[in-house]
Amino acid sequence: MTMMKSVPIKVEHGGKWVPATMGIGEDRIHIGAPLDCEIPYRSMVDLEAKKNQVTIVAGPDAAEVYRIASVEKVLSVLKKFVITQCSAYRLNAFFMSPAIRGGVLVQDAHWEKGVITVMKTGIWFISQESQVCIPLGDVTGIELTRREIQEKDLDVVKIDHLIENEVVTSFVLCPKTTLQVLYNFLNEATQGSRYEGELDPLTGQVAMLVYSGMDSSSIENMLKLSHKDLDAIYEHLLATGFAEVIYIRKEIQLTTKGVRYISDAVKSSPNQ
Amino acid sequence: MGRILIVDDTMFMRTLLKNILFSGGHDIVGEAADGAEAVARYQELKPDLVTMDIVMPKVNGIEALKAIKTADPGAKVIMCTAVGQEQMVKLAIKSGARGYIVKPFQAPKVLEEVKNVLSA
Repeated sequence: MTMMKSVPIKVEHGGKWVPATMGIGEDRIHIGAPLDCEIPYRSMVDLEAKKNQVTIVAGPDAAEVYRIASVEKVLSVLKKFVITQCSAYRLNAFFMSPAIRGGVLVQDAHWEKGVITVMKTGIWFISQESQVCIPLGDVTGIELTRREIQEKDLDVVKIDHLIENEVVTSFVLCPKTTLQVLYNFLNEATQGSRYEGELDPLTGQVAMLVYSGMDSSSIENMLKLSHKDLDAIYEHLLATGFAEVIYIRKEIQLTTKGVRYISDAVKSSPNQ
Repeated sequence: MGRILIVDDTMFMRTLLKNILFSGGHDIVGEAADGAEAVARYQELKPDLVTMDIVMPKVNGIEALKAIKTADPGAKVIMCTAVGQEQMVKLAIKSGARGYIVKPFQAPKVLEEVKNVLSA
């Protein structure tokens, strides 16, 4: 096996991050002591990335988990080998990610030619320029739609997903038969986040306002709702799994001590 | 900060945009519920920017955009429409739109787009 020069990494071992070395080869990686193991790319079934860390899942029962931390340059090379050679559904395609961010078209968005790999926990787009991962748990919508590309109306898969609470849309373009397979695959993989019921119009409006970034007070004013009414709608959205509590707002009234302070403050103010 | 005219046939979307833009320090000088009203309100108010829905009764947003641009070639208009109608982008840009937002949208991104268009 041809190996690159070994690079320093940190690897999780026995619940702790320990220094080690890693060689990235054509068909496998080698992690030095204390793990001292070889992991063929073809045995890898999942890859997750977070800042300067990657988690590789490998083995027949996906039982081997390797957490590796290193500099971006090293991880970028590692991710490229894993994404293009691991055991997963993979296709050559064009992708545009992100194309829309928070409802605003990304002006410099362009189609990139590359590889798409659908793993257990995420979809990876990789091209000469970029490596993009969309965790399946962050996918909010999958749609087979048409889009005008170079004056032709072509089929594309549209993927809506969250990046740090921002809704982002990405597009995938490939031959129609492959596109249908990708669409079906993603649709199935993200079935858990689909809601089959329907919200009543008022709850739907509240959900839309929350989506747009409105706070409780703005929603109450816009929809002329009492605090109690809005709370009931929030409860419904929480129960359906559409929302989560980020903090609880308090309503207070002053105690005798507080009232006395305010009275004294007003009396001692030079403007009174 | 700009003087903005909001054009949308649903009061809900107008109120939402008004709240978002107001929170960004903008002055909402007027509202219109269809394309014909938008053109009349534009001439009357001369806003710094218009947010224009595309699908509206009577005169649609693209026609209203063309009329506004004919009367004032320097007019700054951001088009606004629902998901799935992105094909309208080309037509809107060709007709002189400066920006494009897709419903549903998120406040910070809308404010960023408005800021970009106003400062261009």
